[in-house]
Amino acid sequence: MLKFISIGLALFLLSASPLPSQASKVFPYEYKIEELENGLKVVSIPLPNPHIISYYTIVRSGSRNEVEPGKSGFAHFFEHMMFKGTKKVPRASYDEFLTRLGAGTNGYTTDDYTCYFVVFAGRENLGKVVETEADRFINLYYDEEMLKTEAPVIEGEYYASVSSPDRRLAELLRDTAFEKHSYKHTTLGYLRDILDMPHQFEYSQLYKQRFYAPDNTILLIAGDFDHDELMAYVRKYYSSWQRSDYALVTPEEPPQKAPKRAHYPWPTQTLPRLAVAFHGPAYSDETIDKAALDLLAEISFSRSSPLYQKLVIEEQKCQTLNASFPDRRDPHLLTFSSIVKKDEDLPYVEEEIFKELERLKTEAVPVDQLADIKSNLKYSLANELGTTDGVAGTMAFYINLATDPGTLNRLFGLYEKVTPEDIQAVARKYFVKTASTVITLSGGKGQ
Amino acid sequence: MRKMTNLWALGFLFFGLLATSASCRRVNPNQLTAELLPLEGNPLIHLKILLKVGSANDPAGKEGLAQLTFNMLANGGTRTMTFKEISKKFYPMAASVNLRVDKEMSVFSGTIHRDNLEKFYAIFKEMLLDPGFREEDFARLRTNQLNFLEKTLISNMDEQFGKEILNLMLYNGHPYSYHPAGTVETVASITLDDVKAFYKEHAVQGNIIVGIAGGYSPDFPAKVKGDFAALPEGFTPRLSLPQQRFPAGLEFLIADKQTPATAISMGFPVSISRSDDDFFALWIAGSHFGEHRQHVSLLFQKIREERGQNYGDYAYIEHFIQGRDKFPATNYCRQQQYFSIWIRPLANSNRHFVIRQALRELRRLVEEGIPEERFELVRTYLLNYTRLYAQTLDERLGWQMDSHYYGYKDFLAEVQTRLPKLTREDVNRAIKKYLNFNNLHIAVITQDGESLKRALLENTPSPITYANPNMPRHILEEDKIIQAYPLEIKAENIKVVPAAEFFKKPGVPG
Repeated sequence: MLKFISIGLALFLLSASPLPSQASKVFPYEYKIEELENGLKVVSIPLPNPHIISYYTIVRSGSRNEVEPGKSGFAHFFEHMMFKGTKKVPRASYDEFLTRLGAGTNGYTTDDYTCYFVVFAGRENLGKVVETEADRFINLYYDEEMLKTEAPVIEGEYYASVSSPDRRLAELLRDTAFEKHSYKHTTLGYLRDILDMPHQFEYSQLYKQRFYAPDNTILLIAGDFDHDELMAYVRKYYSSWQRSDYALVTPEEPPQKAPKRAHYPWPTQTLPRLAVAFHGPAYSDETIDKAALDLLAEISFSRSSPLYQKLVIEEQKCQTLNASFPDRRDPHLLTFSSIVKKDEDLPYVEEEIFKELERLKTEAVPVDQLADIKSNLKYSLANELGTTDGVAGTMAFYINLATDPGTLNRLFGLYEKVTPEDIQAVARKYFVKTASTVITLSGGKGQ
Repeated sequence: MRKMTNLWALGFLFFGLLATSASCRRVNPNQLTAELLPLEGNPLIHLKILLKVGSANDPAGKEGLAQLTFNMLANGGTRTMTFKEISKKFYPMAASVNLRVDKEMSVFSGTIHRDNLEKFYAIFKEMLLDPGFREEDFARLRTNQLNFLEKTLISNMDEQFGKEILNLMLYNGHPYSYHPAGTVETVASITLDDVKAFYKEHAVQGNIIVGIAGGYSPDFPAKVKGDFAALPEGFTPRLSLPQQRFPAGLEFLIADKQTPATAISMGFPVSISRSDDDFFALWIAGSHFGEHRQHVSLLFQKIREERGQNYGDYAYIEHFIQGRDKFPATNYCRQQQYFSIWIRPLANSNRHFVIRQALRELRRLVEEGIPEERFELVRTYLLNYTRLYAQTLDERLGWQMDSHYYGYKDFLAEVQTRLPKLTREDVNRAIKKYLNFNNLHIAVITQDGESLKRALLENTPSPITYANPNMPRHILEEDKIIQAYPLEIKAENIKVVPAAEFFKKPGVPG
């Protein structure tokens, strides 16, 4: 029997009303969640936009799952292997099907999940898409030679961004800040592990068995379709998929006891870079910390913030200044970063960032500033939800975190509750110098 | 509520009819025009102010002026507000003004929720019509532009760097020859007075297309048009461009730098654009040969899928900028176009092999044409894929504007009409007419460029090895042909230049 959960959110069409002032309504669309007996969860969001359907498969496995030595980058590598077809629908036939459909299709891998999407026109194509996607997730087939041919593509992907100092900065930051947790490496992985991927056929089979299973996967379908018709197809084609019941244990990151620092000498000319990071909390739509930190990031580092205005606009020491507090399933980093204009200004900009964080511990944020930030977050979200694929792409991220679209409204509910005192409290709790990591990068004279 | 809706619908009908009748009237070139896309009930509004002016309008010696001038509007203060004040006002609305500058057009745009339209538009209008031209904004934005040219472009983004070198080869001595950011020497020479003069010369009504899409009220377009009609009448004459120089043989320009990976872009001018009937046939050929970031691309199949050489390999029959997802961005219309192949970075050790492979595949395309089954497949693909092109308000309005630029009522609708009528013979005829494999500009960014030059001139065999010890026999057999595939190149057609010397001043360095 199917477990059926119907969530009848108050239908609050963006198209019919001004932006809701109450946070519970920031995601205005009606949706349904169903779960098959094998644990496959299906989130369907029928939308009034004609023609387009976004079909997302969210596998809750990303670089976070790469807990074993030598396996960094494997989630991303496996994403590539997922396009190899099945015995029933081999790669060439799969490609031809998508080509004839004229679908926008791809996959992407993140810290926490791997997402595959097929965006296509015409509801008459839905049944065939469900059948084909179910087949490749249940019956993926490739041999060792196919894996050995695909592995160097990852090396090529590594080369595609090898000239980017920002990537190097991010790699060094994670590697320095984390000791144990698999967030220590990027989704692309260490180059040494990428070069070893041709030898990982057996592990790839184990990886599939552990993580590419219905109890670790969520289907998200948004657009022009009928929910009951969709579910009939899903039951028909996905019910034979076997559960995994594998329980991943990610290593716990020990508390950082002393400040860390690293520098990367970029061989050629470049504008210098700076990153200042602290360990933060995991995503939560229940406790206030992460929500308060999200607002803090905006208060102190958005384009309208005093520090941005000072360093970027007035003093013109920096070309960019950002705060990045990504939402992740496990505790991640709270990072402040800047592209600085002159090498000699790196210490000054670092000092200004720390000074701003100290200020936030002692000075209460004006209430009207807090209101501006809450307004910004709501309108930013409304802009993202302007198309079918905008709805699907945005919701895929939140569903990965909480397995439930309702988390978005709960998160915005928390934003509404954040007070100036909460901001001060999280500033004191998380921005402790001994738990900081500072990374700098500056250019050389080479060509 | 229902009554209100009906009134709105009538309003849209009325203004829609006005827009239609306006398009039938003769357009006064001294006055602005408008592109409207009303979508009743949509909570968002997208505004575009398109100027029929771009980097090709830069005066000689001031290359980069259009971008710096327009950036002063999009990222600088107005006469009454500093940029800091604008940022503060925009923030609660999650608003911003985006700027795209290309060779012959530039676009200011913004998407806003209808709750905030009035407040946003008041500032947007002031930014464009009453700019502050402050010294501090000028210093900041000119420094950023110089940093991009001196450091970022040549050192931090090799894929883009390769495309810009190809652009330089295609258009050396031509108004298209440089990145819209200009060159180091010319941007350093730009003064605030230059910026003010450029604005005064080109911010005139006839250069402007006002674009509005989404759930705006029926009277909003008249208001916007009225405001922008405050600009002086006049227009910048459409540029009379010199003919593009066709490469004489295989011409290489190699940027030498420390790098483990080689980036390659190659191409040649094509004489047609989207306006021409032959475009549709050539488009099928281009899509078959190298559709952007799709498995259907033949180059992708041969270089990445079969051999795992790099992340992707594509080809284009017109200038291509990736927009949302992998779809083409809009509002990059040009009078002159070019064919290009983009080989994404690959290990230096395999560079010679892949250059040979790409050129050999191009030769096969020109000599053998498109196979019947691929013709049918790619045509079906394009008929369906183009249905996804216009989803956001920005995209929908952008395609509408581009359609009109190239002389169509609705280019995407035209695709649905034209493609089914094409035959394989039409495509092969277009391939023969517009593509070639003997005369190409080839831009390469690599390490030890001199050794590549020697290998190219001497036609040194360039075998590659694979991680897979059991590569299919047909691939290994084909590799034997590719690794010895002869390229006829004259020594004077290979130039190796240190990467840091690019874009210091207009023209090919050295």
